[in-house]
Amino acid sequence: MIKVSDLKKDFPIFDREINGNRLTYLDSGATSQKPNLVINEMSNVYTNINANVHRGTYVLSSETTAKYEDVRNKFKEFINAYSSDEIIFTKGCTEGFNFLANSICKDLSPGDEIILSEIEHHANIIPWQMAADKYNLKIKYINITESFDLDIDHFESLLNSKTKVVSIVGESNMSGMLPDIKKLNSLIKEKTDAIYIVDGAQLVPHRKIDVQDLGIDFICVSGHKMLGPTGIGVVWGRKKLLEKLDPVYGGGDMIEEVFYESATWAPIPHKFEAGTPPYVEAIGLGAAVDYLTKLDMKNVEKHSDELRIYAKNKLESIDGLNVVHTSSDIAGCTFAMSVEGVHATDVSLMLDTFGVAVRAGHHCVQPFHRKLNLDATFRATGYIYNDEEDFDILSNAIKESIKLLT
Amino acid sequence: MSIQEKVDDYKKMLALFPNAQEKYQYLIEQAKNSEDFPEELRIDEFKVNGCQSQVWLVPEEKDDKLFFKSDSDALIAKGLVTLIASIYSNEAPGDIANSNIDLMEEFDLGVILSPARRNGAFSMLKTIKEVSQKLAD
Repeated sequence: MIKVSDLKKDFPIFDREINGNRLTYLDSGATSQKPNLVINEMSNVYTNINANVHRGTYVLSSETTAKYEDVRNKFKEFINAYSSDEIIFTKGCTEGFNFLANSICKDLSPGDEIILSEIEHHANIIPWQMAADKYNLKIKYINITESFDLDIDHFESLLNSKTKVVSIVGESNMSGMLPDIKKLNSLIKEKTDAIYIVDGAQLVPHRKIDVQDLGIDFICVSGHKMLGPTGIGVVWGRKKLLEKLDPVYGGGDMIEEVFYESATWAPIPHKFEAGTPPYVEAIGLGAAVDYLTKLDMKNVEKHSDELRIYAKNKLESIDGLNVVHTSSDIAGCTFAMSVEGVHATDVSLMLDTFGVAVRAGHHCVQPFHRKLNLDATFRATGYIYNDEEDFDILSNAIKESIKLLT
Repeated sequence: MSIQEKVDDYKKMLALFPNAQEKYQYLIEQAKNSEDFPEELRIDEFKVNGCQSQVWLVPEEKDDKLFFKSDSDALIAKGLVTLIASIYSNEAPGDIANSNIDLMEEFDLGVILSPARRNGAFSMLKTIKEVSQKLAD
Protein backbone atom coordinates (compact mmCIF):
# COMPACT_ATOMS: atom_id res chain seq x y z
CA MET A 1 0.00 0.00 0.00
CA ILE A 2 1.16 3.53 -0.74
CA LYS A 3 1.30 5.93 2.20
CA VAL A 4 1.40 9.31 0.52
CA SER A 5 2.59 11.29 3.56
CA ASP A 6 5.71 9.08 3.80
CA LEU A 7 6.27 8.86 0.05
CA LYS A 8 6.12 12.65 -0.39
CA LYS A 9 9.30 12.94 1.69
CA ASP A 10 11.16 11.37 -1.24
CA PHE A 11 10.17 14.29 -3.48
CA PRO A 12 11.98 17.48 -2.47
CA ILE A 13 9.71 19.75 -4.53
CA PHE A 14 6.90 19.26 -2.04
CA ASP A 15 8.84 21.41 0.43
CA ARG A 16 7.90 24.40 -1.73
CA GLU A 17 5.13 26.84 -1.02
CA ILE A 18 3.17 28.37 -3.89
CA ASN A 19 1.47 31.74 -3.33
CA GLY A 20 1.63 31.08 0.42
CA ASN A 21 -0.02 27.66 0.15
CA ARG A 22 1.28 24.10 0.21
CA LEU A 23 1.92 22.80 -3.30
CA THR A 24 -1.00 20.77 -4.64
CA TYR A 25 0.53 19.33 -7.78
CA LEU A 26 -2.09 17.81 -10.07
CA ASP A 27 -0.32 18.06 -13.42
CA SER A 28 1.57 14.77 -13.57
CA GLY A 29 -0.15 14.06 -16.89
CA ALA A 30 2.13 16.78 -18.27
CA THR A 31 5.17 15.75 -16.25
CA SER A 32 5.77 13.95 -12.98
CA GLN A 33 7.84 15.21 -10.07
CA LYS A 34 11.17 13.51 -9.36
CA PRO A 35 12.24 11.56 -6.29
CA ASN A 36 15.66 12.08 -4.69
CA LEU A 37 16.69 8.67 -6.01
CA VAL A 38 16.50 9.97 -9.61
CA ILE A 39 18.00 13.39 -8.86
CA ASN A 40 20.89 11.89 -6.88
CA GLU A 41 21.62 9.18 -9.42
CA MET A 42 21.96 11.72 -12.23
CA SER A 43 24.09 13.92 -10.03
CA ASN A 44 26.22 10.88 -9.18
CA VAL A 45 26.93 10.21 -12.86
CA TYR A 46 28.11 13.78 -13.48
CA THR A 47 30.03 13.89 -10.19
CA ASN A 48 31.75 10.52 -10.23
CA ILE A 49 31.69 8.52 -13.44
CA ASN A 50 30.82 10.72 -16.41
CA ALA A 51 32.28 9.69 -19.78
CA ASN A 52 30.74 9.02 -23.17
CA VAL A 53 29.23 5.57 -23.59
CA HIS A 54 30.33 2.81 -25.99
CA ARG A 55 33.52 4.62 -26.99
CA GLY A 56 36.10 4.74 -24.29
CA THR A 57 38.54 2.03 -23.24
CA TYR A 58 38.97 3.50 -19.80
CA VAL A 59 37.35 3.03 -16.39
CA LEU A 60 34.91 5.96 -16.50
CA SER A 61 33.51 5.11 -19.91
CA SER A 62 33.19 1.48 -19.06
CA GLU A 63 31.31 2.31 -15.82
CA THR A 64 28.94 4.73 -17.55
CA THR A 65 28.34 2.27 -20.39
CA ALA A 66 27.57 -0.52 -17.93
CA LYS A 67 25.07 1.66 -16.05
CA TYR A 68 23.47 2.87 -19.30
CA GLU A 69 23.10 -0.60 -20.78
CA ASP A 70 21.80 -1.94 -17.47
CA VAL A 71 18.78 0.38 -17.80
CA ARG A 72 17.72 -1.74 -20.78
CA ASN A 73 17.65 -4.77 -18.49
CA LYS A 74 15.71 -2.87 -15.86
CA PHE A 75 13.18 -1.71 -18.44
CA LYS A 76 12.92 -5.16 -19.95
CA GLU A 77 11.93 -6.49 -16.52
CA PHE A 78 9.63 -3.54 -15.91
CA ILE A 79 7.43 -4.24 -18.94
CA ASN A 80 8.31 -7.94 -19.28
CA ALA A 81 9.87 -7.63 -22.74
CA TYR A 82 11.30 -10.76 -24.35
CA SER A 83 14.80 -9.30 -24.51
CA SER A 84 16.68 -6.17 -23.48
CA ASP A 85 17.66 -5.68 -27.16
CA GLU A 86 14.03 -4.74 -27.77
CA ILE A 87 14.38 -1.63 -25.58
CA ILE A 88 15.17 1.36 -27.81
CA PHE A 89 15.99 4.65 -26.10
CA THR A 90 14.39 7.75 -27.62
CA LYS A 91 14.02 11.37 -26.54
CA GLY A 92 10.45 10.59 -25.51
CA CYS A 93 7.13 9.36 -26.79
CA THR A 94 6.97 11.97 -29.55
CA GLU A 95 10.28 10.86 -31.01
CA GLY A 96 9.13 7.27 -30.61
CA PHE A 97 6.08 7.85 -32.80
CA ASN A 98 8.07 9.82 -35.36
CA PHE A 99 10.58 6.99 -35.57
CA LEU A 100 7.89 4.32 -35.94
CA ALA A 101 5.77 6.29 -38.42
CA ASN A 102 8.76 7.05 -40.64
CA SER A 103 10.26 3.62 -40.47
CA ILE A 104 7.07 1.54 -40.80
CA CYS A 105 5.25 3.64 -43.42
CA LYS A 106 8.22 3.64 -45.79
CA ASP A 107 7.53 -0.02 -46.52
CA LEU A 108 3.74 0.33 -46.99
CA SER A 109 1.90 0.61 -50.32
CA PRO A 110 -0.20 3.58 -51.47
CA GLY A 111 -3.78 3.18 -50.20
CA ASP A 112 -2.77 1.20 -47.12
CA GLU A 113 -4.59 2.26 -43.97
CA ILE A 114 -3.59 3.46 -40.52
CA ILE A 115 -6.13 3.41 -37.71
CA LEU A 116 -5.98 5.93 -34.87
CA SER A 117 -8.72 7.06 -32.49
CA GLU A 118 -10.46 10.43 -32.18
CA ILE A 119 -8.94 11.03 -28.75
CA GLU A 120 -5.24 10.60 -29.61
CA HIS A 121 -2.52 12.94 -28.42
CA HIS A 122 -1.05 15.00 -31.27
CA ALA A 123 2.16 12.94 -30.93
CA ASN A 124 0.16 9.95 -32.14
CA ILE A 125 -1.53 11.86 -34.98
CA ILE A 126 0.92 14.26 -36.62
CA PRO A 127 3.75 11.77 -37.36
CA TRP A 128 1.18 9.49 -39.09
CA GLN A 129 -0.32 12.42 -41.02
CA MET A 130 3.17 13.39 -42.22
CA ALA A 131 3.99 9.82 -43.23
CA ALA A 132 0.55 9.35 -44.85
CA ASP A 133 1.12 12.46 -46.96
CA LYS A 134 4.53 11.22 -48.03
CA TYR A 135 3.52 7.65 -48.90
CA ASN A 136 -0.13 8.15 -49.96
CA LEU A 137 -1.62 6.29 -47.04
CA LYS A 138 -5.07 6.72 -45.54
CA ILE A 139 -5.78 7.50 -41.86
CA LYS A 140 -9.04 6.42 -40.25
CA TYR A 141 -10.21 7.45 -36.77
CA ILE A 142 -12.16 5.25 -34.36
CA ASN A 143 -15.18 7.09 -32.93
CA ILE A 144 -15.26 7.95 -29.27
CA THR A 145 -18.64 7.36 -27.61
CA GLU A 146 -20.63 9.88 -25.58
CA SER A 147 -19.24 8.27 -22.44
CA PHE A 148 -15.70 8.98 -23.71
CA ASP A 149 -14.78 5.39 -24.56
CA LEU A 150 -13.65 3.69 -27.76
CA ASP A 151 -16.52 2.63 -30.00
CA ILE A 152 -15.49 -1.01 -30.44
CA ASP A 153 -18.14 -1.75 -33.10
CA HIS A 154 -16.88 1.13 -35.15
CA PHE A 155 -13.31 -0.08 -34.66
CA GLU A 156 -14.21 -3.53 -35.92
CA SER A 157 -15.89 -2.03 -38.96
CA LEU A 158 -12.69 -0.17 -39.86
CA LEU A 159 -10.47 -3.26 -39.85
CA ASN A 160 -9.78 -4.74 -43.27
CA SER A 161 -6.99 -6.21 -45.37
CA LYS A 162 -5.59 -2.74 -46.08
CA THR A 163 -5.16 -1.96 -42.37
CA LYS A 164 -1.39 -2.02 -41.75
CA VAL A 165 -1.00 0.00 -38.56
CA VAL A 166 -3.25 0.48 -35.54
CA SER A 167 -1.90 3.02 -33.07
CA ILE A 168 -4.08 3.78 -30.06
CA VAL A 169 -3.65 5.46 -26.71
CA GLY A 170 -3.21 3.06 -23.76
CA GLU A 171 -4.57 5.53 -21.21
CA SER A 172 -6.18 8.76 -22.39
CA ASN A 173 -4.57 11.97 -21.16
CA MET A 174 -7.96 13.63 -21.41
CA SER A 175 -10.76 11.25 -20.37
CA GLY A 176 -8.74 8.65 -18.46
CA MET A 177 -10.10 5.99 -20.85
CA LEU A 178 -8.24 2.66 -20.62
CA PRO A 179 -8.99 0.62 -23.74
CA ASP A 180 -9.03 -3.15 -23.37
CA ILE A 181 -5.68 -3.68 -25.07
CA LYS A 182 -5.88 -7.48 -25.13
CA LYS A 183 -9.30 -7.38 -26.74
CA LEU A 184 -8.17 -4.83 -29.34
CA ASN A 185 -5.09 -6.93 -30.04
CA SER A 186 -7.17 -10.08 -30.68
CA LEU A 187 -9.50 -8.19 -33.00
CA ILE A 188 -6.57 -6.77 -34.95
CA LYS A 189 -4.73 -10.09 -35.20
CA GLU A 190 -7.93 -11.92 -36.14
CA LYS A 191 -8.87 -9.64 -39.01
CA THR A 192 -5.62 -8.10 -40.27
CA ASP A 193 -1.85 -8.47 -40.39
CA ALA A 194 -1.48 -4.95 -38.97
CA ILE A 195 1.06 -3.80 -36.43
CA TYR A 196 -0.49 -2.72 -33.12
CA ILE A 197 1.22 0.18 -31.37
CA VAL A 198 0.20 1.39 -27.93
CA ASP A 199 0.77 4.97 -26.81
CA GLY A 200 2.05 4.23 -23.33
CA ALA A 201 2.80 7.83 -22.26
CA GLN A 202 0.12 7.82 -19.53
CA LEU A 203 -0.36 4.06 -19.22
CA VAL A 204 3.13 2.89 -18.28
CA PRO A 205 3.59 5.33 -15.34
CA HIS A 206 0.31 4.18 -13.78
CA ARG A 207 -0.25 0.51 -14.47
CA LYS A 208 1.60 -2.81 -14.43
CA ILE A 209 2.41 -3.61 -18.05
CA ASP A 210 3.32 -7.00 -19.46
CA VAL A 211 3.91 -6.67 -23.19
CA GLN A 212 4.07 -10.43 -23.68
CA ASP A 213 0.70 -10.92 -22.05
CA LEU A 214 -0.86 -8.01 -23.97
CA GLY A 215 0.34 -9.44 -27.27
CA ILE A 216 1.00 -6.02 -28.78
CA ASP A 217 3.80 -5.17 -31.24
CA PHE A 218 5.14 -1.82 -30.03
CA ILE A 219 4.72 0.56 -27.11
CA CYS A 220 6.02 4.12 -26.83
CA VAL A 221 6.96 5.36 -23.36
CA SER A 222 7.83 8.78 -21.96
CA GLY A 223 10.44 8.85 -19.17
CA HIS A 224 9.53 12.16 -17.57
CA LYS A 225 5.93 11.14 -16.93
CA MET A 226 7.10 8.15 -14.83
CA LEU A 227 9.40 9.97 -12.36
CA GLY A 228 12.35 10.04 -14.77
CA PRO A 229 14.05 13.05 -16.33
CA THR A 230 13.00 14.81 -19.52
CA GLY A 231 14.68 13.94 -22.82
CA ILE A 232 14.44 10.18 -22.44
CA GLY A 233 11.84 7.65 -23.48
CA VAL A 234 11.58 4.11 -24.72
CA VAL A 235 10.17 2.32 -27.70
CA TRP A 236 9.67 -1.35 -27.06
CA GLY A 237 9.07 -3.52 -30.11
CA ARG A 238 9.12 -7.18 -31.01
CA LYS A 239 12.64 -8.23 -31.98
CA LYS A 240 11.64 -9.59 -35.39
CA LEU A 241 9.83 -6.38 -36.30
CA LEU A 242 12.67 -4.17 -35.06
CA GLU A 243 15.18 -6.17 -37.07
CA LYS A 244 13.15 -5.55 -40.23
CA LEU A 245 12.81 -1.80 -39.69
CA ASP A 246 15.34 0.64 -41.09
CA PRO A 247 16.80 3.32 -38.86
CA VAL A 248 15.51 6.86 -39.29
CA TYR A 249 18.56 8.69 -37.93
CA GLY A 250 22.09 8.06 -39.18
CA GLY A 251 25.33 8.90 -37.44
CA GLY A 252 27.85 7.58 -34.97
CA ASP A 253 27.26 4.50 -32.86
CA MET A 254 24.51 3.00 -35.07
CA ILE A 255 26.76 1.45 -37.71
CA GLU A 256 28.70 -1.72 -38.20
CA GLU A 257 30.89 -0.63 -41.13
CA VAL A 258 31.06 2.63 -43.02
CA PHE A 259 32.42 3.13 -46.54
CA TYR A 260 32.42 6.30 -48.60
CA GLU A 261 29.55 4.95 -50.67
CA SER A 262 27.48 3.11 -48.07
CA ALA A 263 27.23 1.70 -44.57
CA THR A 264 25.85 -1.29 -42.73
CA TRP A 265 23.83 -1.01 -39.53
CA ALA A 266 24.70 -2.22 -36.06
CA PRO A 267 22.34 -4.86 -34.64
CA ILE A 268 19.30 -3.76 -32.60
CA PRO A 269 18.96 -1.80 -30.38
CA HIS A 270 21.95 0.33 -31.37
CA LYS A 271 21.03 0.78 -35.03
CA PHE A 272 18.20 3.05 -33.86
CA GLU A 273 20.36 5.14 -31.49
CA ALA A 274 22.55 7.39 -33.61
CA GLY A 275 24.98 9.75 -31.90
CA THR A 276 25.72 10.19 -28.24
CA PRO A 277 22.57 9.08 -26.45
CA PRO A 278 21.15 10.96 -23.46
CA TYR A 279 22.87 8.42 -21.22
CA VAL A 280 22.59 10.44 -18.00
CA GLU A 281 18.85 10.79 -18.59
CA ALA A 282 18.63 7.06 -19.36
CA ILE A 283 20.41 6.26 -16.09
CA GLY A 284 17.96 8.64 -14.35
CA LEU A 285 15.12 6.69 -15.93
CA GLY A 286 16.70 3.51 -14.59
CA ALA A 287 16.51 4.98 -11.08
CA ALA A 288 12.83 5.87 -11.70
CA VAL A 289 12.19 2.25 -12.71
CA ASP A 290 13.94 1.11 -9.50
CA TYR A 291 11.73 3.45 -7.45
CA LEU A 292 8.50 2.26 -9.07
CA THR A 293 9.55 -1.38 -8.92
CA LYS A 294 10.23 -1.04 -5.19
CA LEU A 295 6.80 0.52 -4.71
CA ASP A 296 5.40 -2.33 -6.84
CA MET A 297 3.35 -1.33 -9.88
CA LYS A 298 0.40 -3.30 -8.52
CA ASN A 299 0.33 -0.83 -5.60
CA VAL A 300 0.71 2.12 -7.98
CA GLU A 301 -2.27 0.83 -9.93
CA LYS A 302 -4.37 0.28 -6.81
CA HIS A 303 -3.53 3.77 -5.55
CA SER A 304 -4.51 5.29 -8.91
CA ASP A 305 -7.82 3.41 -8.96
CA GLU A 306 -8.76 4.36 -5.39
CA LEU A 307 -7.80 7.99 -5.86
CA ARG A 308 -9.72 8.15 -9.15
CA ILE A 309 -12.97 6.96 -7.57
CA TYR A 310 -12.62 9.50 -4.75
CA ALA A 311 -11.74 12.32 -7.14
CA LYS A 312 -14.52 11.46 -9.58
CA ASN A 313 -17.21 11.64 -6.88
CA LYS A 314 -15.75 14.82 -5.47
CA LEU A 315 -15.48 16.63 -8.82
CA GLU A 316 -18.78 15.44 -10.26
CA SER A 317 -20.60 16.85 -7.24
CA ILE A 318 -19.46 20.42 -7.95
CA ASP A 319 -22.29 22.60 -9.31
CA GLY A 320 -21.62 24.00 -12.75
CA LEU A 321 -18.54 21.84 -13.38
CA ASN A 322 -18.51 19.72 -16.52
CA VAL A 323 -16.20 16.72 -16.08
CA VAL A 324 -14.91 14.91 -19.19
CA HIS A 325 -14.25 11.44 -17.84
CA THR A 326 -14.96 7.95 -19.08
CA SER A 327 -17.91 6.12 -17.55
CA SER A 328 -15.95 2.86 -17.38
CA ASP A 329 -15.24 1.23 -14.05
CA ILE A 330 -11.52 1.14 -14.72
CA ALA A 331 -9.80 4.32 -15.85
CA GLY A 332 -6.88 6.62 -15.27
CA CYS A 333 -6.95 9.32 -12.58
CA THR A 334 -7.30 12.08 -15.18
CA PHE A 335 -10.07 14.66 -15.31
CA ALA A 336 -10.50 17.31 -17.99
CA MET A 337 -12.99 19.92 -16.81
CA SER A 338 -14.81 23.00 -17.98
CA VAL A 339 -17.19 25.57 -16.53
CA GLU A 340 -19.89 27.02 -18.77
CA GLY A 341 -19.05 30.62 -19.65
CA VAL A 342 -15.65 30.58 -17.91
CA HIS A 343 -12.37 30.19 -19.76
CA ALA A 344 -10.15 27.30 -18.66
CA THR A 345 -7.09 29.54 -18.34
CA ASP A 346 -8.96 31.81 -15.91
CA VAL A 347 -9.77 28.80 -13.73
CA SER A 348 -6.20 27.50 -13.82
CA LEU A 349 -4.76 30.95 -12.99
CA MET A 350 -7.16 31.20 -10.04
CA LEU A 351 -6.34 27.66 -8.90
CA ASP A 352 -2.65 28.62 -8.93
CA THR A 353 -3.41 31.29 -6.33
CA PHE A 354 -4.52 28.42 -4.05
CA GLY A 355 -1.26 26.55 -4.75
CA VAL A 356 -3.03 24.13 -7.09
CA ALA A 357 -1.15 23.29 -10.30
CA VAL A 358 -3.32 22.04 -13.17
CA ARG A 359 -2.96 22.34 -16.90
CA ALA A 360 -5.23 24.50 -19.08
CA GLY A 361 -5.56 24.23 -22.84
CA HIS A 362 -6.31 21.45 -25.27
CA HIS A 363 -3.65 19.09 -23.79
CA CYS A 364 -2.46 18.26 -27.32
CA VAL A 365 -5.88 16.72 -28.04
CA GLN A 366 -7.26 19.57 -30.12
CA PRO A 367 -9.45 17.62 -32.61
CA PHE A 368 -11.37 15.94 -29.77
CA HIS A 369 -11.85 19.27 -27.94
CA ARG A 370 -13.24 20.63 -31.20
CA LYS A 371 -15.61 17.68 -31.45
CA LEU A 372 -16.90 18.47 -27.94
CA ASN A 373 -17.23 22.17 -28.88
CA LEU A 374 -14.73 23.10 -26.22
CA ASP A 375 -11.92 25.60 -26.86
CA ALA A 376 -10.05 24.44 -23.83
CA THR A 377 -10.39 22.51 -20.59
CA PHE A 378 -8.41 22.49 -17.39
CA ARG A 379 -7.10 19.12 -16.35
CA ALA A 380 -6.19 17.51 -13.05
CA THR A 381 -4.18 14.29 -12.99
CA GLY A 382 -3.29 12.33 -9.87
CA TYR A 383 -0.17 10.25 -9.28
CA ILE A 384 1.54 8.32 -6.50
CA TYR A 385 2.28 11.43 -4.41
CA ASN A 386 -1.32 12.68 -4.53
CA ASP A 387 -3.97 11.77 -2.02
CA GLU A 388 -7.57 12.54 -1.14
CA GLU A 389 -6.54 15.80 0.53
CA ASP A 390 -5.17 17.07 -2.80
CA PHE A 391 -8.55 16.54 -4.43
CA ASP A 392 -10.32 18.14 -1.45
CA ILE A 393 -8.11 21.20 -1.90
CA LEU A 394 -8.72 21.16 -5.67
CA SER A 395 -12.46 20.82 -5.20
CA ASN A 396 -12.67 23.76 -2.73
CA ALA A 397 -10.37 25.86 -4.93
CA ILE A 398 -12.56 25.17 -7.98
CA LYS A 399 -15.67 26.25 -6.07
CA GLU A 400 -13.96 29.46 -4.90
CA SER A 401 -12.59 30.13 -8.39
CA ILE A 402 -16.02 29.74 -9.97
CA LYS A 403 -17.37 32.28 -7.46
CA LEU A 404 -14.59 34.74 -8.27
CA LEU A 405 -14.95 34.32 -12.01
CA THR A 406 -18.72 34.47 -12.46
CA MET B 1 -0.29 61.55 -19.31
CA SER B 2 2.82 59.85 -20.72
CA ILE B 3 3.20 56.11 -21.09
CA GLN B 4 5.68 56.11 -18.21
CA GLU B 5 3.26 58.02 -15.96
CA LYS B 6 0.41 55.64 -16.76
CA VAL B 7 2.64 52.64 -16.05
CA ASP B 8 3.69 54.23 -12.73
CA ASP B 9 0.04 54.80 -11.79
CA TYR B 10 -0.92 51.19 -12.49
CA LYS B 11 2.16 50.03 -10.64
CA LYS B 12 1.05 51.96 -7.54
CA MET B 13 -2.48 50.60 -7.90
CA LEU B 14 -1.38 46.97 -8.29
CA ALA B 15 1.00 47.27 -5.33
CA LEU B 16 -2.07 47.84 -3.13
CA PHE B 17 -3.11 44.23 -3.66
CA PRO B 18 -1.09 41.93 -1.43
CA ASN B 19 -1.37 38.70 -3.41
CA ALA B 20 -1.88 37.21 -6.87
CA GLN B 21 -5.54 36.43 -6.24
CA GLU B 22 -6.44 40.03 -5.41
CA LYS B 23 -4.43 41.30 -8.38
CA TYR B 24 -6.37 38.93 -10.65
CA GLN B 25 -9.62 40.17 -9.09
CA TYR B 26 -8.57 43.72 -9.94
CA LEU B 27 -7.94 42.63 -13.56
CA ILE B 28 -11.34 40.91 -13.64
CA GLU B 29 -12.94 44.19 -12.53
CA GLN B 30 -11.11 46.01 -15.31
CA ALA B 31 -12.45 43.42 -17.75
CA LYS B 32 -16.02 43.73 -16.51
CA ASN B 33 -15.91 47.55 -16.65
CA SER B 34 -14.33 47.70 -20.09
CA GLU B 35 -16.11 49.15 -23.11
CA ASP B 36 -18.19 46.78 -25.23
CA PHE B 37 -16.17 45.32 -28.06
CA PRO B 38 -17.87 45.48 -31.49
CA GLU B 39 -18.73 41.96 -32.64
CA GLU B 40 -17.58 42.66 -36.21
CA LEU B 41 -14.01 43.27 -35.00
CA ARG B 42 -13.73 39.81 -33.48
CA ILE B 43 -11.88 38.55 -36.55
CA ASP B 44 -8.59 36.80 -37.20
CA GLU B 45 -6.98 39.99 -38.56
CA PHE B 46 -7.07 41.50 -35.06
CA LYS B 47 -6.26 38.35 -33.11
CA VAL B 48 -3.06 38.37 -31.06
CA ASN B 49 -1.05 35.21 -31.68
CA GLY B 50 0.64 33.41 -28.82
CA CYS B 51 -2.04 33.80 -26.13
CA GLN B 52 -3.59 30.79 -24.37
CA SER B 53 -7.02 32.39 -24.77
CA GLN B 54 -8.31 34.39 -27.72
CA VAL B 55 -7.24 38.03 -27.55
CA TRP B 56 -8.12 40.81 -30.00
CA LEU B 57 -6.40 44.18 -30.28
CA VAL B 58 -7.70 46.74 -32.77
CA PRO B 59 -5.66 49.88 -33.44
CA GLU B 60 -7.35 53.11 -34.57
CA GLU B 61 -5.58 56.29 -35.60
CA LYS B 62 -7.21 59.61 -34.64
CA ASP B 63 -5.53 63.02 -34.88
CA ASP B 64 -2.03 61.49 -35.12
CA LYS B 65 -2.64 59.44 -32.00
CA LEU B 66 -3.22 55.72 -31.62
CA PHE B 67 -6.14 54.20 -29.73
CA PHE B 68 -6.67 50.50 -29.01
CA LYS B 69 -9.89 48.56 -28.63
CA SER B 70 -9.42 45.15 -27.03
CA ASP B 71 -11.18 41.98 -25.98
CA SER B 72 -10.59 38.39 -24.88
CA ASP B 73 -12.73 35.34 -24.23
CA ALA B 74 -10.93 34.87 -20.89
CA LEU B 75 -11.56 37.36 -18.08
CA ILE B 76 -8.06 37.74 -16.65
CA ALA B 77 -6.53 38.11 -20.12
CA LYS B 78 -9.25 40.64 -20.97
CA GLY B 79 -8.39 42.63 -17.84
CA LEU B 80 -4.73 42.56 -18.78
CA VAL B 81 -5.28 43.59 -22.39
CA THR B 82 -7.69 46.34 -21.22
CA LEU B 83 -4.95 47.68 -18.96
CA ILE B 84 -2.32 47.45 -21.70
CA ALA B 85 -4.66 49.12 -24.24
CA SER B 86 -5.32 51.99 -21.83
CA ILE B 87 -1.58 52.55 -21.27
CA TYR B 88 -0.85 52.80 -24.98
CA SER B 89 -4.04 54.54 -26.16
CA ASN B 90 -4.04 58.29 -26.86
CA GLU B 91 -0.29 58.21 -27.56
CA ALA B 92 1.70 59.10 -30.66
CA PRO B 93 2.92 56.07 -32.64
CA GLY B 94 6.52 57.28 -32.33
CA ASP B 95 6.28 57.51 -28.54
CA ILE B 96 4.87 53.96 -28.35
CA ALA B 97 7.52 52.64 -30.70
CA ASN B 98 10.26 54.24 -28.60
CA SER B 99 8.84 53.12 -25.25
CA ASN B 100 10.49 50.35 -23.28
CA ILE B 101 8.60 47.11 -23.75
CA ASP B 102 9.94 45.78 -20.44
CA LEU B 103 8.17 48.50 -18.43
CA MET B 104 5.28 46.27 -17.51
CA GLU B 105 7.47 43.58 -16.03
CA GLU B 106 7.61 45.90 -13.00
CA PHE B 107 3.91 45.21 -12.40
CA ASP B 108 4.57 42.06 -10.40
CA LEU B 109 1.64 40.24 -11.91
CA GLY B 110 3.06 36.81 -11.22
CA VAL B 111 2.77 34.13 -13.85
CA ILE B 112 0.76 36.20 -16.32
CA LEU B 113 3.55 38.75 -16.67
CA SER B 114 6.62 36.62 -16.12
CA PRO B 115 9.60 37.63 -18.24
CA ALA B 116 9.14 34.48 -20.33
CA ARG B 117 9.04 35.67 -23.90
CA ARG B 118 6.40 33.16 -24.90
CA ASN B 119 3.59 34.42 -22.76
CA GLY B 120 0.45 36.22 -23.89
CA ALA B 121 1.26 39.61 -22.35
CA PHE B 122 4.45 39.80 -24.38
CA SER B 123 2.49 39.00 -27.56
CA MET B 124 0.04 41.82 -26.78
CA LEU B 125 2.87 44.31 -26.25
CA LYS B 126 4.67 43.12 -29.37
CA THR B 127 1.51 43.65 -31.45
CA ILE B 128 1.14 47.21 -30.12
CA LYS B 129 4.80 47.98 -30.81
CA GLU B 130 4.64 46.58 -34.35
CA VAL B 131 1.53 48.60 -35.27
CA SER B 132 3.12 51.76 -33.86
CA GLN B 133 6.46 51.16 -35.55
CA LYS B 134 4.76 50.82 -38.96
CA LEU B 135 2.88 54.11 -38.50
CA ALA B 136 5.92 55.90 -37.09
CA ASP B 137 8.15 54.90 -40.04
